[in-house]
Amino acid sequence: MVDFLINWISIVPSFAAPFVLAALGLIICERAGVLNLGAEGFMLVGAVAGVGLMTNGTPALAALIGAALAGSAFGLIFAFMVAGLRINHVISGLALVFLAQALTSLIATQQGWTNNPISGLKPLFSDSLSDILYFGPILFGQDIIVYFTPILCFSVAYIIYQTTIGLKLRAVGENPHAADAAGINVTLIRFLAIIIGGAFLGLAGGYLTVAVSKIWVDGVVGGRGWIAIALVIFARWGPWRALTGALLFGCIEALIPRIAAVGFHVPQYFLLMTPYLATLGVMIWSAIRLKNDWSQPAALGQHHIREERT
Amino acid sequence: MLNKATENNNVPISGKASSSEKKRNLQFIPRLEVRQNSPEWLRLLIYAFSLLVGCVCAVLVMYCVGVNPTDLIQEISILLFSGTRTVGSVLAQTAPLIIAGLATAAAFRANFWNVGLEGQMIVGTIFASFIAIHDIGPASLRLFLMAFAAMLGGIIWIAPAGFLKLKLGINEVITTLLLNYVAFNLLLHLLFGAWKDPVSGFPHSAQFDLVERLPKIGWENLTYALPLAVSLVLLIWWILSFSRVGYLLSFVSSNPSMAKAVGVPVLGLSITAIIMSGAIGGLTGFAIASGLEFRMTRDFFSGFLFSGVLIAFLGRNHPIGVAVVALFMAMLVLLGQSLQVFYQVPFALIQLIQAIFIICVAASEFFLTYRMHWRN
Repeated sequence: MVDFLINWISIVPSFAAPFVLAALGLIICERAGVLNLGAEGFMLVGAVAGVGLMTNGTPALAALIGAALAGSAFGLIFAFMVAGLRINHVISGLALVFLAQALTSLIATQQGWTNNPISGLKPLFSDSLSDILYFGPILFGQDIIVYFTPILCFSVAYIIYQTTIGLKLRAVGENPHAADAAGINVTLIRFLAIIIGGAFLGLAGGYLTVAVSKIWVDGVVGGRGWIAIALVIFARWGPWRALTGALLFGCIEALIPRIAAVGFHVPQYFLLMTPYLATLGVMIWSAIRLKNDWSQPAALGQHHIREERT
Repeated sequence: MLNKATENNNVPISGKASSSEKKRNLQFIPRLEVRQNSPEWLRLLIYAFSLLVGCVCAVLVMYCVGVNPTDLIQEISILLFSGTRTVGSVLAQTAPLIIAGLATAAAFRANFWNVGLEGQMIVGTIFASFIAIHDIGPASLRLFLMAFAAMLGGIIWIAPAGFLKLKLGINEVITTLLLNYVAFNLLLHLLFGAWKDPVSGFPHSAQFDLVERLPKIGWENLTYALPLAVSLVLLIWWILSFSRVGYLLSFVSSNPSMAKAVGVPVLGLSITAIIMSGAIGGLTGFAIASGLEFRMTRDFFSGFLFSGVLIAFLGRNHPIGVAVVALFMAMLVLLGQSLQVFYQVPFALIQLIQAIFIICVAASEFFLTYRMHWRN
């Protein structure tokens, strides 16, 4: 039993990290009033970039940075569509998911990256530390991104709540017209928010392939982008609450392959449904529990055109 | 759109980069003005232009993956002019695409972003296959029972998302999409378990009996799936153009709050549209399983969500538009299949082209809504 628990808990962080990173990226976007339904697409782009760079011999960390940059570059398209051309946020997001699914599948197939195992990201500390009984694997068996994630979480929270740029970000998300009147360049802030958020989403996707699956198959992200969107609602757009929620989903995902190993005989495909059903449950819970909660950015999904002020 | 303020028209939107020093000069970022009305010819022109841009991008992308424009023209002409057989297979592909487009468009009309088409197709087909596998009901009524079950399955799968949206305000894009994954796992559970083909052991259901297949209409290999699709188009066209429901629905889709204010039963109409979308979504699966593949396969639904959104979007949620776009989409799918065989181009290329078209047409909306001023 103790073995099972340690084994389970020590694997949770690497399942939770992509959710945290994706949620942070989404929080940055949505705090600026951009409803980013393209999360799944961003993560796919990051994932394929990570695999591609690893296959071509780039070190794992550089591949992860490349994945983040790829997410940013993909964010340029989204930013141009949403903040530039003022296309409906829902349609833009969906179109980007479709674009990313097709593009990543096409590139990976053409370059022969599909089903090609890569070496992947190693744990940060040597085996001697992580061999310490009980807490060794949990505390010291993780890779660098896992240790880095709380720092990122702290930085995002600090920037959003404590700095001028964070105030501007929130102002744009709450009331773009007022922000505009106060002299904030709404379009620019949204542009930047999407690109920086895209980097986080790309990193999340890159982490999925470089550190977790260590292989590319089409649609490797498997709906985690959508789960992250739900997670942000559950976290009421707060970075620390997103971390907590991500740990919850990490626990569920890490448990799935272990349940069968312990000897519970639940049909396999029903187990694979649980993350999605849990997400639905979480969304319903948030909606009921937080019915009169106003933490959602008031202008989420709305365009800003100065001439359209009513 | 009409009551938007117009007095601020001459305020630059974001011309800070260059406006302060040099007056009346070209700007890097244009000033936007909301168009008060856009004439029909402009609407058509911009739409046509966006399609043209999409086509150019598509040809470029194909060139990048190694299909020469000359080869492309040759493939297209083979598709169009090599006799009734290819026309037959285009039309056979068109039928489920039309139904998929109608399912998506029905929900989009009510501002319900149903992206759960694949889930609804899967559950609808599971219901229909249940009838087929267990031989429920008299043979003469079997097909009707299957179609009915498929619609029921689709409704069951869209109902939670609709309920959560209307009752709790939960974003339907996320719920319908998550339900796709749930449905897919359910399908795999059945196909790798109880419904595995008893003859071959492959993960697809046993072949449907003859009475459980849509009969052939006697021209090429076409089944009654096509007449079914066409009659659905006509039915929905009639509902939208001539019935009270259609009139009220167009009211709701253009201005929901106004419609609510003057007493249109918005909630009831939304529920109707959502249920219709789910039912037609289930029927899409039935049309494929019973009209094309004659069994429930593991990936019969793949790509239909994609195509459905594209067809509804390009067809402007109008049934006739949907039918026309679906026809083109079927050609594109067949073109993709032949490119896959003869040029080893992955089928994802076709999906990429579809995504490019969605983006182009969505972007064209901008030029309809706003007028750009490049001079200060």
